[in-house]
Amino acid sequence: MKQSTFNNKYLPYVLLVPTFFILIVFLFYPAIETFRLSFFKIHPWTGVGKFAGFYNFIKIFTNTEYLRSFVLSAGFTLAVIAGGLFLSLLVALLLNKKIAGIRVYRTLLIWPYALSPAIAGALFNFLFNPANGVLCYFTGIRTWLTNDKTAIIVVIIAAVWKNLGYNIIFYLTALRNVPGAALESASIDGAGSVKKFFYITFAFLSPTTFFLFVMNTIYAYFASFGLIDVLTEGGPAGSTRILIYHLYKDFFVHSKIGYAAAESLVLFSLVVGVTILQFRTAGKKVHYQ
Amino acid sequence: MKKWLPILVVALLVISGLLTSCEKKVKVDESAEVSIEFWHAMSGARIDLIQGIVDKFTAENPNIKVDVQYTGSYNDTLNKVKSAYKAGNAPDIFHSYEIGTLGLINSGIISPLDEIAKNFKREIPWDDFFTPVQSYYKYQGDHYSMPFNTSTPLIYYNKTFFEKAGLDVNNPPKTYEEIRAAALKLKAAGFENPVTWNLHSWYFEQMICLQDEPFVNDKNGRSGKLPTEVVFNGEAGQKVLDWWIGMEKDGLFLDVGPGWSNHRAAFGSGEVAIVMSSSSDVNRLTEALAEKGWEMGTGYIPRPEGAKGGVAIGGGSLWMTNNHTPEEELATLKLITFISEDEAQIAWHKGTGYFPVRKTAMDQLKTEGWFDENPNYLTAFNQLLDSPETLNTAGGLLGIFPEARELIQSAIQEMYAGKSVKDGLDEAAAKVNASMTEWNEVIQ
Repeated sequence: MKQSTFNNKYLPYVLLVPTFFILIVFLFYPAIETFRLSFFKIHPWTGVGKFAGFYNFIKIFTNTEYLRSFVLSAGFTLAVIAGGLFLSLLVALLLNKKIAGIRVYRTLLIWPYALSPAIAGALFNFLFNPANGVLCYFTGIRTWLTNDKTAIIVVIIAAVWKNLGYNIIFYLTALRNVPGAALESASIDGAGSVKKFFYITFAFLSPTTFFLFVMNTIYAYFASFGLIDVLTEGGPAGSTRILIYHLYKDFFVHSKIGYAAAESLVLFSLVVGVTILQFRTAGKKVHYQ
Repeated sequence: MKKWLPILVVALLVISGLLTSCEKKVKVDESAEVSIEFWHAMSGARIDLIQGIVDKFTAENPNIKVDVQYTGSYNDTLNKVKSAYKAGNAPDIFHSYEIGTLGLINSGIISPLDEIAKNFKREIPWDDFFTPVQSYYKYQGDHYSMPFNTSTPLIYYNKTFFEKAGLDVNNPPKTYEEIRAAALKLKAAGFENPVTWNLHSWYFEQMICLQDEPFVNDKNGRSGKLPTEVVFNGEAGQKVLDWWIGMEKDGLFLDVGPGWSNHRAAFGSGEVAIVMSSSSDVNRLTEALAEKGWEMGTGYIPRPEGAKGGVAIGGGSLWMTNNHTPEEELATLKLITFISEDEAQIAWHKGTGYFPVRKTAMDQLKTEGWFDENPNYLTAFNQLLDSPETLNTAGGLLGIFPEARELIQSAIQEMYAGKSVKDGLDEAAAKVNASMTEWNEVIQ
């Protein structure tokens, strides 16, 4: 088959214009603007700024609540990744079995991903709210969301549940791509099903696991906002106020634009940093076919 | 003498010319076609109610087109106004909560209502407005915005449950001690946690007002200077929370967390027998209890024995943004005034429970016999009229009120978890003060 080529030098640039237009308007300009604003004290209404050097950064890093939120976010993210990946792999393994009605199970288990975080929050509120939550009634404990030790657990469960469908889809696809020949030859060599899983299947799943690791980190840091807003508003007493929620409050409620800009820069560097770290460490162990 | 006459005439002319030019006159064509935008923060059935009021206005003023938008919560609405203003397309009218008042006065994006009214020689009959309502929005002698939805907190109680517990159904508890006693009796009658209200600093603020104490320094934020220090951590504030937290500790109070739905749900489903909420909930809660066949009563919010203060109003008002053409300003002024007039206010009151802002509207409701049929709609109003008029009951003004509320609410949750009331309040006050110092510096 003959491949057609374009010899026009400028055509690639012309074709890139729409992409770059969108990137500049929605990504680069806001990012640069955020960077600039983080060095200013800004009037909450008119947006007029006064240069303040590192004032905003010093302020947020001397705020004990912000530092607490830092640690909380890290713990929250780890819990969401660990719980999310473990459960979704387990479910994906079960969904990979050939049993009657498997398509129905698959659809039902992937369903939660189609919900928006706020709706997922509303559902968990229906289960756990202290006034008339269904699970409060069955467990006999009303304080799931109003106790500072259990609220974060409910939020983690909700966040894991919400993202389960996404993780399952990827694991399921990866499982179906594990070559039958490799498993078969392992069987012939006398490997049991446990050994087969850890030595063969898991190795073939490593690229997907790594990808989900990165995606779940981003999810936990950024996308869990809606859940928290609906379930706890960051409370009780700040026990579920992770970095993204802290940022939301500072910008949208307290109108501290400079602080918020500095915080989003910190959050951005953090997630980029964690991702690079993951590529450097876990990335090397990933086995691509 | 004759010599002086021309000089005198000239002098008079000059002076009178000066005098008239002092008074800013705006010439505008009243019948010009004009369209204005109005953003409000009232959700649900209230969207249609407001649209209905505006439709009546446009029917009477066919040259004015009004685009009414529901723009989310008060907070969302303010954020949208902020970005729209920066982009140069702010709405002509927007709706803000009462606690945004000092921030908006200093925002540089609004036109004071009295000033615009004076420019068009259409002064607003403030004498017809109830004093507590208009004095909240009056700052240094000028009204900056038009009072719109006005409420106070109320105690709602389930009469059917009161009867079961052997309590007087027509005499709701009025003091801290009486609430406690009633709660104990209800608990004995089988209610696990008989009392609740949502985690909201508004109740705390109101209960400080009830003791006739200020929330913030510089005359409760009304001296004309920006206040620099909050005083809610004083004796009055501690007294409120000693009682509130004490009830929670003793299992008489159900902590339902923040937001405005859980406490209503707990009351509507019969989990609790006493709830504190906004007077604008009277409509909703009456219906919720009637569905179950229960009867509802209302009462004033509780105070410590002998406290002499009163409540301050809550709710919201309508603000005008600046930088509009005189035609738009006049149309905006007309609409704002229309919304404050009897017809609109009566429709609004009946549909929500927010009470009318004008005396004439109230009189009309009384002669109609509305309150004989719906006595619970009158309680909030009487509670307000029974309040003395002081700087404390006019309501505290604070630029960073939304943040102060967050910090107070967080402190209350720490108290539920075991922190002492005094420490919790002092820490919250210190944080608010630090934030206030920063805000005062940035805003100037």
